[in-house]
Amino acid sequence: MHIPDGYLGPATCAAGFAVMAPLWAFASRKVKKTLRAKQVPLLAIAAAFAFVIMLFNVPIPGGTTGHAVGGVLAAILLGPWAACIAVSVALVIQALLFGDGGITAVGANCFNMAFVLPFVGYGVYRLISGSSPVTSVRRVVAAGIAGYIGLVVASLCAGIEFGLQPIFHHTASGQALYCPYGLKIAISAMVGEHLLVFGWVELIATALVIKFLQKQEPALLQPETEVRI
Amino acid sequence: MAKKNNGFIERTAISAVSLLRETVSTDAIASRDGFLQRCDPRFKFAGIALLLACALLTKSTAELAVLYLASVTLAVFSSISPFFFFKRTLIFIPLFSLFIAIPALFNVVTPGKPIFAFKVFTLDLSVTRQGVDSALIFCMRVLSSVSLTILAVLTTRHHVLLKALRVFRVPRLFVMVLGMCYRYICLLLDIIKDTFTAIKSRVGFVTSPKTGRRLVAANMAGMWLRSYRLHTQVYDAMVSRGYTGEPIVLNEFRARRGDYGFLIVSLFMLIGTLWLNRFFH
Repeated sequence: MHIPDGYLGPATCAAGFAVMAPLWAFASRKVKKTLRAKQVPLLAIAAAFAFVIMLFNVPIPGGTTGHAVGGVLAAILLGPWAACIAVSVALVIQALLFGDGGITAVGANCFNMAFVLPFVGYGVYRLISGSSPVTSVRRVVAAGIAGYIGLVVASLCAGIEFGLQPIFHHTASGQALYCPYGLKIAISAMVGEHLLVFGWVELIATALVIKFLQKQEPALLQPETEVRI
Repeated sequence: MAKKNNGFIERTAISAVSLLRETVSTDAIASRDGFLQRCDPRFKFAGIALLLACALLTKSTAELAVLYLASVTLAVFSSISPFFFFKRTLIFIPLFSLFIAIPALFNVVTPGKPIFAFKVFTLDLSVTRQGVDSALIFCMRVLSSVSLTILAVLTTRHHVLLKALRVFRVPRLFVMVLGMCYRYICLLLDIIKDTFTAIKSRVGFVTSPKTGRRLVAANMAGMWLRSYRLHTQVYDAMVSRGYTGEPIVLNEFRARRGDYGFLIVSLFMLIGTLWLNRFFH
């Protein structure tokens, strides 16, 4: 899901930043307004948590493993706006310090994983969980489905971004200048692997973490918890 | 089978260790005496951003090759061994991109002038000129972009690189959160490494996938609980050091003549790229 440099053309990269800039500004204004000075370190620690969560290899049926992105989990624990900042910070650090995900593609990567993933996932979670008790099974199911749908929708966005490249950027002879695959191939490849493999990893990880927190620290899942923004 | 089931424990521990090792080795390279290490991080980052823009905007494979050669030259002048640089830049993302580009060579993905035709059962396949050009420019673009990014990453201490973001008018809150986040990543990586090494030594070989999933989820949740509790202690520590709620980012950068030179050369390369693009249709 981390798009490296060179896959997207200048128009898509610029659009990624153009869309994310007001979202980051709004998110930081909202977080600044709601977050007390005391909670600034929490944002940094949450970003670090969003970063390291991608390191956990989750065993999936079939004997192989995969890693979760954790965007929906961060949204459930922190609220979608704070999750947007936390995941964006994690993605910027991955791109700048570890070369994972391109610098020119930071805007597009943040749009997919720090905006679409947490917001879609959080919306689905709220929709399914409704007003059920914090410790109910429904919340666990809601978290799992939210993780799955959030990731698949984010992968659809990445597929569309890839697929637009040969349409936007090609030479007169038909040579593609960036990602060479059109919408049909790019969307099928991206959505297919997330529907079949990575979506399930996200589902398992998100649902089990919520289930664990229900038992150990249910207060952190209360809608009125002070950290949720 | 046991090894297969337990692979996730080792893989998680190995991921954490390799990231920690990368952090340490990067700091060691960034401390060497070399051209880019001596550069003011703000100018270095801006210069490399301009070169990245060249790699993003150019329509010429030859120019991308020149950019890659320029990054290898810069690496040599920055006390980075070419072998190490090739290893870092050619493996993983460029190699992965090469595999991704292979189907684009054929007429089923990129129609065009055939240069080599063959038949698979009833399917007529051919490698097209447009397909080869598309795959080549795609791989070269990824290679030169990744090389430039790695060059910046290797020659700058991580916390300094994050501070240099102020030059791009990134809000102070973000710069502070980025700096703090980086430190906590190191701390959390250390915790993951220790935890999974302990699990490996205690659990041995008897983890079923189901137990494995529960174990990983418990660790993720445990990590969140630990992080959540940690933030109040961190805030107390910040207050005791004089934090009043307004983020302050120290700025101890000083530019030299060579820094301006690097920036000007990068700027000229970008202008040259835009000028050259007029000849490609």
